[in-house]
Amino acid sequence: MKYTPKEITEEVNVTKVHPLVNLASLLGTTIVVSAAIYLGLGFVAGQLATRMDPETEIKIGQSLFPTGISHREHSQQLEYVEGLLGSLQQEMGATRIPLTVHLWENEQLNAAIFPGGNIVVTTGLLEAVETENELAFVLAHELGHFAARDTLKALGRSLVFVFVSTAIDSQGGASGVVSTTGQLTNLHYSRTQESAADLYALEAIIRRYQHGGYSLDFFARIKAKDTKGKLSEYFSTHPITQDRIDELKTIAAARGWSMTGVASPIPETVTSSDHLP
Amino acid sequence: MYNLIIFFCLLALGYFSGNYFEQQHYKSIKRRERKTLSLPAVTFGAKKPIPEAEVAALFVGSVVISADYFKMFVYGLRNLVGGRVVVYESLLDRGRREALLRMKEQAITWGASTIVNVRLESSNIGRQAGNNKGMVAIEVIAYGTGIK
Ligand SMILES: [Zn+2]
Repeated sequence: MKYTPKEITEEVNVTKVHPLVNLASLLGTTIVVSAAIYLGLGFVAGQLATRMDPETEIKIGQSLFPTGISHREHSQQLEYVEGLLGSLQQEMGATRIPLTVHLWENEQLNAAIFPGGNIVVTTGLLEAVETENELAFVLAHELGHFAARDTLKALGRSLVFVFVSTAIDSQGGASGVVSTTGQLTNLHYSRTQESAADLYALEAIIRRYQHGGYSLDFFARIKAKDTKGKLSEYFSTHPITQDRIDELKTIAAARGWSMTGVASPIPETVTSSDHLP
Repeated sequence: MYNLIIFFCLLALGYFSGNYFEQQHYKSIKRRERKTLSLPAVTFGAKKPIPEAEVAALFVGSVVISADYFKMFVYGLRNLVGGRVVVYESLLDRGRREALLRMKEQAITWGASTIVNVRLESSNIGRQAGNNKGMVAIEVIAYGTGIK
């Protein structure tokens, strides 16, 4: 047998695909498929959320509600917020499960509703609002999210997200699960959901005070002096834009709702920060 | 946002530097392959008498080649959807050819007329079981019996 040396001229072992073309096609496939899965499962989660019975919702709420936040129990402030929320609920009809108010000792301005009817209001928010109308609008907005089951829908989507990312990170083990479970409480709503909650809030305000005056001042004021850090928490979940305020004013004008009136003050005992619980 | 910028910088770094080093490597591989073409390196010879040999010696060539950030990212995507990992093909191809060249170059210096019973082996380095993160590097070893 004779050995004939042969130079490698044809690269049979390396596929001739430009790396960037390869990347583009892979990215395209991944994005399209995951978007389809996300939307599909998100739709299922949304359907489940609208059909969930109150008992399950309470159970989920109990298991998910963040423990270890410093509540301020039995204070005049808590009673005041509960009373205000109660009066708003009365105007809009009873909710499917009883709501619980948690006053959170935190200087950030934040209010959020969690699945199971837990409303968290920070003491920072209580100190920042100047009239009751402002606070009422923020509370009614969260009530709007609750009434529309937005919290449950967002929870469903988060669960889908956790599920998918855990599946992708299959070898990551516990660390991946822990970091993504943190997103469960990080509720994000869509623009349409925000608009609907705004409208719900304004309607509740009109019924409660017979006018919408001062109720939007909080947002306008915060927007004007938007500083980083302290305010970002609320607006990361509730991006407030001029569009939203304008939209509400247009709707109010169309429905003949008065947007001027007398401001309802907040009791002294609530606003003073040195108040003893 | 910052994370995204860093990510794109790493991706660009991986793409450009990875491409540059790969091209340089292929140039070197092709030049040296032409130079060592005269020495036959064949796979037969196991469990058989070695033909017309007076002296025999073992020659080992090994090389470790690392993937770049770009390749690793593309591989990560490929890992989701499945299919041929085109970006790692060149990595292994370079590894095999470089290891063979190192083996042949040693044998030529020694004065071999043929290398028989050539075997190739590869293993990955840096990724332990259960740890999906960290660097991707492959080691390729080529070994054979040089005779003269
Ligand atoms: Zn909202």
